[in-house]
Amino acid sequence: MKTGGEGLIQSPMDRSSAFRSNIKKFYIYVVLVVIVIIFSVVKLGQVEMFGRGHFLSPDSIIVLLRAAVPIITLSGAFTLLMISGNIDLSVGSAMSLNAVVFALMILNGFPFLPALIITLIMGMAMGFLNGFLVVKMRITPVIGTLVTLNLFKGIALLIVPAGLSAIKSSAEKQMPAWINDYARQDVFLGLPWAFYVALAVIAVLIIVQRKTILGKYAAAIGGNRTAAELSGINVVKMAWILYVIVGFFAAAAGMARASYMSLGDPLSGDGMELDNIIAVLLGGTAFSGGEGSVPKTIVGALIIMCVTTGLMTVIPAFWQTVAKGSVLLFAVVLNHVLVREKVKC
Amino acid sequence: MNVETNQVGKPLIGSRMSNESFITLIMVGVLFVLFGIACAAVPNFYLPRNMLNLLTNNWYLIIVGIGVSFLLITGNFDLSVGGNIAMTGVFSVYFCQAANVSQNVLANGLGLPYGLAVLLALLCAMSIGAINAFFVAKLKVPSIIVTLGTMMLARGIAQIVTQGAQRNTSLPDVFGVVGSMSIKGTPIKVSVVIMVGLVIAAYIFERMTVPGRRTYLIGANPEAARLSGINVVKHLTFLYLTSALLAGITGILLASEFKAGVSSRALGYEFDALVISLLGGVSIAGGFGSVLGMFAGAVILSVITSSATGLLLSPNWQFTLKGVATLIAILTQRFALDKRKG
Amino acid sequence: MKLIENVLEIQDLVKEFPSVRAVNNVSFDIKRNTVHCLVGENGAGKSTLIKILTGAYMRTSGTVLLNGEEYNPHSPRDAKQRGISTLFQELNVVDQLTVEENLTLGMEDTRFGFLRKTDKINKMVNVMKSLEPSITPRQLVSTLSVAKKQIVEIAKAVATEADIIIMDEPTASISESEIARLFKIVKSLREKNVTVIYISHRLDEVFELGDYVTVMRDGKHIGTEPVAEVKDRSELIRMMIGKTVFEEYTPKEGGSQETILQVKDLCNHKLNGISFEIHKGEIVGFYGLVGAGKTELARAIYGVDEYRGEITFKGKKLPATPDKVIAAGIALVPEERRTQGLFTVLTIRGNVPVMNMEKISRNGFINSTQERKVTLEYIDKLRIATNSTEKEAAKLSGGNQQKVVFSKCLFADADLLMLDEPTRGIDVGAKSEIYGIIRRLSEEGKSIMIFSSELPEVVNICDTIYLLFDGNMKTMMKNGPDIDSEKIIHIVTGGE
Repeated sequence: MKTGGEGLIQSPMDRSSAFRSNIKKFYIYVVLVVIVIIFSVVKLGQVEMFGRGHFLSPDSIIVLLRAAVPIITLSGAFTLLMISGNIDLSVGSAMSLNAVVFALMILNGFPFLPALIITLIMGMAMGFLNGFLVVKMRITPVIGTLVTLNLFKGIALLIVPAGLSAIKSSAEKQMPAWINDYARQDVFLGLPWAFYVALAVIAVLIIVQRKTILGKYAAAIGGNRTAAELSGINVVKMAWILYVIVGFFAAAAGMARASYMSLGDPLSGDGMELDNIIAVLLGGTAFSGGEGSVPKTIVGALIIMCVTTGLMTVIPAFWQTVAKGSVLLFAVVLNHVLVREKVKC
Repeated sequence: MNVETNQVGKPLIGSRMSNESFITLIMVGVLFVLFGIACAAVPNFYLPRNMLNLLTNNWYLIIVGIGVSFLLITGNFDLSVGGNIAMTGVFSVYFCQAANVSQNVLANGLGLPYGLAVLLALLCAMSIGAINAFFVAKLKVPSIIVTLGTMMLARGIAQIVTQGAQRNTSLPDVFGVVGSMSIKGTPIKVSVVIMVGLVIAAYIFERMTVPGRRTYLIGANPEAARLSGINVVKHLTFLYLTSALLAGITGILLASEFKAGVSSRALGYEFDALVISLLGGVSIAGGFGSVLGMFAGAVILSVITSSATGLLLSPNWQFTLKGVATLIAILTQRFALDKRKG
Repeated sequence: MKLIENVLEIQDLVKEFPSVRAVNNVSFDIKRNTVHCLVGENGAGKSTLIKILTGAYMRTSGTVLLNGEEYNPHSPRDAKQRGISTLFQELNVVDQLTVEENLTLGMEDTRFGFLRKTDKINKMVNVMKSLEPSITPRQLVSTLSVAKKQIVEIAKAVATEADIIIMDEPTASISESEIARLFKIVKSLREKNVTVIYISHRLDEVFELGDYVTVMRDGKHIGTEPVAEVKDRSELIRMMIGKTVFEEYTPKEGGSQETILQVKDLCNHKLNGISFEIHKGEIVGFYGLVGAGKTELARAIYGVDEYRGEITFKGKKLPATPDKVIAAGIALVPEERRTQGLFTVLTIRGNVPVMNMEKISRNGFINSTQERKVTLEYIDKLRIATNSTEKEAAKLSGGNQQKVVFSKCLFADADLLMLDEPTRGIDVGAKSEIYGIIRRLSEEGKSIMIFSSELPEVVNICDTIYLLFDGNMKTMMKNGPDIDSEKIIHIVTGGE
C-alpha cells in the first residue's frame, strides 16, 4: 500500500475522516437525546411536561433508573469481555441463579453482608466455569456460554420453580422487609444504594479500561492476538480473568434484582444477555474485539431502558418484542456503518 | 506407477470411514447406551409405544434441526426459527379466519381460503430468512446477533397479531386437519411422516447433491470454496431461506394440530434445535456433521427428557440436563476425533 | 562482560524437511553493530534460515551462537526474550492501541495492576522520537501508515535492547520517501548497539545500506563479503544464480497467433497499469521476486480482488467474480495450497470434482460412480501417490497435494490455467512431473500463465516471460537459447 507523503496541509480526505471520527464519538449521545425527546413529547397532549405520568417526571425517572441498575452494573464488564473478542451469553441465567441464591439466603435468616459475599463468590465461580470452557477447553464462546446458560438456568429452576410466588414468603419463613432497602430505599435524590453502587461500578470499570493493565491487554488480545502473545501476554489467563469478572458483576446484578423484587425469580434475568448485546452494539464495540468503550455502552444501556420503559407508556405490552428486535437490528446496522472500516484498496 | 489400480477406489471400512460417519456412529452408540440405562432405571420405559414416541415426539425439533444443522456446518447460527414457527402459525390462522364476524378483534381475520393462507404464511416465513441472509451473507454481520434480532422480530410480530395471546376462533374446518391427521389405522401422525420425509430428503441432499456438497465445502474452507467458484453469498442465502421455510412448515403443522396460533409457541425451540445438532456431532468448527447425527441427537434428547419424566423429575430438570448433555457430547466428540487422528 | 566481535555465529546449520534439505550446512558470522544483508533467490533457504533464528522452526543439526552462547529458541517469544526481534511483513502492532501503548506492550510497569507512568515509558518514547519525531506517542496506531507502523516496531525492538533486529523485505509495501527515512533509521541503529539482518530482493538496497552481504543459493552458503568489496550488481547476481544449467528449453513449433486473453492497464492497490496478451496454447511466465505483484495480478484477473482496467477473454469482457471467471474458462491454482487450494479435511475424491460439479452430476444429483471414476482418472493421469480415493488430503505430501489442486483445476475444463507458484515446496521428482503435465496441456491447446519466483522454472518451460517489479510490468522476453538470466535478475531486482 503506497501512501503519499505526509504533508501538513489537511487534504479533503483528512477532513472527512476527522468528521467521521467525531461522529463515531458522539453519535450515541445524540441518539439518547433524541429518544428522550421523542418519549417526552409523544404524550404531551395528555400529560403535562414533567408532570405526573410524563416520561421526564421525577417519579418516572426514578423508576427508570432503579430498573436500570442491573444492566448498568453488568454491562461495563460485559464490554471489557467483548473488547477482548469473547462473548458471554450466560449472563442472564447467571443473574437469575444468583438472585435465587441470594434471596434464599436472606429468607433463611442470613444477614446482608454474608449473603452478599457468598453470592459474589458464587458469581465468580460461575465465571470461572465459563472461562474454563471457552478459554481452556477452547469451545467456541457462543456454544460454550450457551451450555452454561442452560446449566445455570436449570439449577436456578431446580432450586426454585418459576412463578411470582417463588421464595417471596412461605408459611414458615418471611422475607424480611429490609431486603428492599438496597434496591429501593431512597438514599439520596430518591435513588437507592443500588444505583449509587452501579455508578461506582461504572467509574471503576472506566478506570480499569483506561488505566489498568487488564483494560489494555483486553484490547490487545481482541485487536491482534498474535501481537499480544508475542509481547508475552498470557492470553489464556487474561481472558479467563475477564470471564470471572463478568461472573462477579452478574452476581451483583442478580443480587440487585432480588433486592428490587423482594424475591428470587429464576427467570428474572432472561433476556439480559440480549440487552447487553444491544447496549454494546449501540456503543460501538466491534464484534471482533479490540475496540469498545464502557461509557458508550452505558449510554447504550440507558437507551434500551428508555426505549423499553418509554414504549410501555405508548404501546401495548405485546409490541415490546418487535420493538426490541428492531432496536437490535438497528444497532447492528449502526454498528456496521460506523465500526466496520471498509477496506479501501 | 505407484498406484495399485485394483485396490484404488474401494473405500475401505474402518479406518477409511469418514470422520462424519465415525462420529455419527459414536453418538448412535451413546444413544443405545443411554437407552439401555434408561430401560434399566426407569419404570415402564421398555414399551413399544414408548420407543415409537422416542423417535417421533420431537418431530418439530427435527424439522427445524435440518436447517439449523446445515447452517451450523457452514459456521453460522439461525436462532430465528422459534420465533418464525410462532409467527407463521399465527399468520396461518389470521389469514384464514373469517372476516368481520365478531366484535372481538382476535376473532376476525382476512377470510382467505386455507391453501392460500398457508402459502402466504410460508412466504412470510421466508422473508425472515431473507433478512437473515441479507445481514449475514451480504453484510457479513455475525449470525448470532442477526438471528437473535430476527428471532425477536418474528416473535414480536406473532405477539402483535395475537395481542399477546392467541387466535383460535372462526377457523375453517379444514384448518385442523393436517396437524392431527394420522395414517389410517396407525397412531403415526402425518406430521411425523412429513418429518421423516424431510429428513430423508435432507440426507439425500447432504450426501448426494451438488448444493449439499457445497455446504460442506464452505464449512471446511470458505476461502478455498470461493476460489473454487462457489458463490458463497448465494449459497448462504439459499440455506437461510430453506431454514426459514422449514420453520414455517413446522409452524403451520403445529398451528393446525392445536387449532390455534399462539404467540408463545416454540419458545426455546431454536436452542433445542442447536442442542440436538450438537448432540448429533454437528460441529461449528469446520464443515462437519450430518442430519442423521442430528436425528440421533434428537432421539438422545428424547431419551433424556422422557427418562426424567419417567423418574418423576420435574420438567425444570430439562435445562440442566440439556446443558450437561451438550457439554459431554462436545467433549466426547472432540476426544474421539483426537484419538482417531492419533 | 567483554562484547564478542561476532554477535551471531552460525556453524554447519542444517534444516531438513521430508523431501528437501532447505538449509544445507550453512556457516557464516554476523559482526556486531553492522547492517548485514541476506540475499538469494526464492528457495535459496533465506526464509528457512530466518525461521530458525526466530524460533519458528527447530534446526535439524548445527550450532548457532548468540553473543558466544548457545542459541536454540523454542518459540518466537523465546527468540524475542533472547534478544532477537523481527519485523515481519504482517505487522505485529495492535491498531486499536496508541503508539505509547504498543511500545510498552508486555513490559508495562504496574502497581496493583494500575499502569504507571515511569521513566521507562519516557525512555521508549524518546527512542521512538529519535527515530521519527513526527510520530506522537498518543496517537492511535491505526492512524499510522504502514511505514510508520514499521518504525514503531523498530523502536520497540531498540528500546527493549534487542541485540539483533531482523527485517524481512521491509520496503515491499512503502513509498520512496518512506524508504529513504527507513534507511536513515537502519543506519542509525548501529550507533544504538543493534545489529540488523536485512533481507531484500532489491539489490540496490544492499549497496546503499549494507556493511556485509551473504548470498545463499539452493540452501547453501555461497559467500559472505563486506559490501565495499563487491564490485557491482552483476557479481552478486552471478553468486545468486551460479552456474545453474537450465534444462534446454524447446521452442514451440508454430505457435498460434490467436489471442485468448487481453489485459489493458490493469490497476489496483498494488498494480500499476499492467498490459499484456496471451495467445492460445502459449505458456507465459510472470517472473518477479517478493512484492512484485504476481499474486495480486492473478487474483485480480480471477475476480478475487478489485481492479480497474480492461480484461478481455475469448473476445468477451471477463466478469469480475471467481465463479463467473471459472464458468468463462479460467482456473486458478492458488499460491497457498493448504489454505486456499485444498479442502484439507476432505478426501481426494472430495476435492477433485469441486470446480465442475455439473460434469459429475445430473439435475443436481451427484453420480458417485462418475465421481469415483473421475478421481481415479486424475490419480492415474497425474500419478498421485495414494492407494485410495478416500485418503484425506491433509495426509498427502506437498507434491501430491499440489497434484490434487491441479486435478481440481484441470477438471474445470478451463481454456486458460493460472498457476501461482505451482511447484513451491515440492520435491524435484514431483516438480518435473508437473512440468511434464504443463507441457502436455499446452500441446493440447490450453493456455497457461505461470506466476513464479523461481527463475529456473520460468526459463524451463515458458514460451514468453514477463518481468514484474513493484507492481509494474518491466519488460517482455521471448524464451530461447540466448536468454540472458543475468539481465532478468537485474531487472527484477530493480535495475533498468
